[in-house]
Amino acid sequence: MTEPTAAPRTPTAPHPPSITPVQVSPWRSLGMLLRWSLASIGAMLPLIVVVQAMLAAGIVIGFGLLIPDITAEAALFLSSGAPTILLLTIGLVIVPQGVARARASGALDYQRALPVARPLLLAVDLVVWTLIALPGVAIGLLVGHLRYDLAFSFDWPLLILASLLVTTMATSVGYAIAVSFPAMLAQLLSQVLVFFVLLFSPITFPASQLPDWFQRVHEVLPIQPAADLLRAGIAADTFTASGRDLLVLTLWTALGLLVTLRALVRRR
Amino acid sequence: MDPDVLRITDLTRRYGPVVANDDLSFHVRAGEVVGLLGHNGAGKTTVVSQIVGLLRPHAGDIRVGGTDAVRDPAAARRHVALQPQAQAPIDGLTPRSAIEIAGGLRGLTPRDARAAAVSLAEELDIGPWMDRRALPEGGGLSGGIRRLTGFAMAVAAPIPLLILDEPTNDIDASRRRLLWDAVRRRGDAGSGVLLVTHNVSEAERIVDELVILDRGRLVAEGSPAHLRGTQDTDLRLELQLPPEGADPSATDPHLAVRRRVRTGRRTLLTVAAQEAAPAVAWAAAQHAEHRIEGFSLTPSTLEDAYLALTTPPDPTREGATDD
Repeated sequence: MTEPTAAPRTPTAPHPPSITPVQVSPWRSLGMLLRWSLASIGAMLPLIVVVQAMLAAGIVIGFGLLIPDITAEAALFLSSGAPTILLLTIGLVIVPQGVARARASGALDYQRALPVARPLLLAVDLVVWTLIALPGVAIGLLVGHLRYDLAFSFDWPLLILASLLVTTMATSVGYAIAVSFPAMLAQLLSQVLVFFVLLFSPITFPASQLPDWFQRVHEVLPIQPAADLLRAGIAADTFTASGRDLLVLTLWTALGLLVTLRALVRRR
Repeated sequence: MDPDVLRITDLTRRYGPVVANDDLSFHVRAGEVVGLLGHNGAGKTTVVSQIVGLLRPHAGDIRVGGTDAVRDPAAARRHVALQPQAQAPIDGLTPRSAIEIAGGLRGLTPRDARAAAVSLAEELDIGPWMDRRALPEGGGLSGGIRRLTGFAMAVAAPIPLLILDEPTNDIDASRRRLLWDAVRRRGDAGSGVLLVTHNVSEAERIVDELVILDRGRLVAEGSPAHLRGTQDTDLRLELQLPPEGADPSATDPHLAVRRRVRTGRRTLLTVAAQEAAPAVAWAAAQHAEHRIEGFSLTPSTLEDAYLALTTPPDPTREGATDD
């Protein structure tokens, strides 16, 4: 009876040519990953623009129906809040669902096994989702303008800064949710967040309409600061934002980035 | 220079109470194709995940191309290209652009990446699909073409360590042969290849060494010829047993067998060439008495040895270690 067991290996005869890996610069890696990511998410872009337009119409026109004899002030408040809702929806709902899908299909692990610094993966997603989300600002305002014939007074530098910051905050927090919770829970959480953002956040109505304790809560959440900052950029003559808004948003962005980076780099 | 592109020493990884990798040690040299075989759940993919830094080992060392993959996973990843068991995420891309991007990420110039895509299309016979876009939900490209694209992405640029996890899943027979040849060529060109598979008979053709895992433990390693364990002249007598029938070979003292493995309703006997004639006569007699439904005599294969090593302990079995 023969027993197969481990045995000393026979040495391979001639030495094969040795292969040394090439160090690729982060910028080059970033470019390659951007091309990859834009191609895969890009296919969804038309769909996302349509969803944003429908959502904007729902907010500006639909919420307007709830208020009979809507005043010009209320209409401006409503319309200037619509872009915030669109940006938050992309970041807090569509991003986590996409990331949860990528986790389930193995796509995220595939990327994590690539010879690139893992923080680059997050950088790429931030850039791509910002590109996808930003048209939402214009779409939201266009619907408001068409429905209520509003004239906005833009503070362009503030509007651009606010749009970028709110998108980055929402995307990084959404990403953090997707990488921190099991896929099912992340999906559920993102659904709940839609309702919270749409109905229970002072975006389309002033915070003064909320109970006192709930106003305190919204002072530390990033939603109201996002809305206030964007509003100040959209209708600079009517609304102002505070440095506190900027601070709260920045802190949430940092938190989202930190949690996401940790999850991307960490080995289970 | 260290000839090992992968050296795993005393690697242990648990999931809760389950030991997925139990004190594994093996290595892959440059230019060598090493097959990592095992049943589902044997711990093969867990090994791979630790090499590329998706999982952290609980104990042991992993050295990849001279880097410490446990301490510095980012440096180790530059030495490894992985084709995972899941499909490569190429939705929205054509195979051509996917291969070019993969090459670019490994440092190929745009011109070299384009050339690599062209030559891989030819090597794997996927030319007609090269410019067809993969769509979400599995649209646009078939699973087989996606799998071949995933392979092409892994080999787009020369790499010290190539890890292929079940690379032939979904692939048709003729392209499977092209793929095996392509794998062998990568080894001959100097890559160390770790080939994870449960397709024993096909892998046998191209591997230099085999590492066999069973329930997290390394049960055998060596060349296919060595693992076959018996002489090349040995034969395999396969018995097809009746449903719920006893194995007549287990109780017959006159039958000379080198190894016996029972899997379900099949018993695989390894017999020496000079014992073949009496063994066939014995089997024919058993068949005449309806104690077996049929039998066949073929050359002994690696699969017989593999099954002997990994089939769960069975009182009627002899010839393999089951400690």
